[in-house]
Amino acid sequence: MIVRLLLAALAAGLIAGMAMTPAQYVKTIPLIMQAEAYEGGGHDHGAVESTSSSVDAGTGVAQGADARAAHDRGDDSMLGLGRLGDTVLANLVAGAGFALILAAVALIAGIEFPAGRDGLIRGLVLGAGAWFCVQLAPSFSLPPAVPGFPYADLGDRQGWWMITVGLSAIGLWLLALRPEWIARALGVALIVAPHIWGAPVPEDLSSEVPAYLASAYAAASLATTLFFWLLLGGLLGHFLSRVPEEQAA
Amino acid sequence: MAVKIQTLSLTDRIGARTVAGLMALVIGSILVFGVGLANSQTLHDAAHDTRHSYGFPCH
Repeated sequence: MIVRLLLAALAAGLIAGMAMTPAQYVKTIPLIMQAEAYEGGGHDHGAVESTSSSVDAGTGVAQGADARAAHDRGDDSMLGLGRLGDTVLANLVAGAGFALILAAVALIAGIEFPAGRDGLIRGLVLGAGAWFCVQLAPSFSLPPAVPGFPYADLGDRQGWWMITVGLSAIGLWLLALRPEWIARALGVALIVAPHIWGAPVPEDLSSEVPAYLASAYAAASLATTLFFWLLLGGLLGHFLSRVPEEQAA
Repeated sequence: MAVKIQTLSLTDRIGARTVAGLMALVIGSILVFGVGLANSQTLHDAAHDTRHSYGFPCH
């Protein structure tokens, strides 16, 4: 049963991850490519990275130089698959990872998926909840950004992002699945807290990337990820409802 | 006797779900960390468009 539960999550994640690549090529990646033309006043991506990685260690300089060399050759791929191939692979891994985490939340929180339509609808609701926690809640204070935007320190933003996703998930669980009013109030407080604390914001907000690209990108990112999470949640609900309950591991 | 068997299988089932959930949480977190957050130049460049599209903090 354990293996079948994991395989059900994996299947849902790989299908949703596969569907994400065409969605990104329609909505987000054209905007990323347009924005890259403005990045660092026209530098390529590797050149920007090499300056930031050189702060870390000596190896960072070498890696940055490699990345720049790759860009000079006009080869965007680090794995030899080309930019499209890399993105397909990354989306499959991301889909599988998000699906396993979503399945883990459902299994540990004891959310059951009845067969048929009810399981599908519960899956969709779970996917929508995950979209709120992973995409919408962090974007209140740290909107999805195209390359070439002014950035605060990467580690600070990643830390804030992980804490916000975690607190939003706990908050939403308390708000939606706990009957006590004090638990619900605590849930709201957990969801709001990281935004009162504040996300890391760069001191200089000026950018050469046109504002239109940025606003179109934020909307496109939220729209494509909503598609991903609803598809993932629906598939997960459907597949998990079909795992036989009595079967041994 | 029949009641006892049913109770045992229910406990097993809840146990299996929790074990599967914990395993899925660990594997899923490693995958998402690798794609979205790992501070490796190779992983960053390969997952660049995916990181931006999912709104992961990037650069």
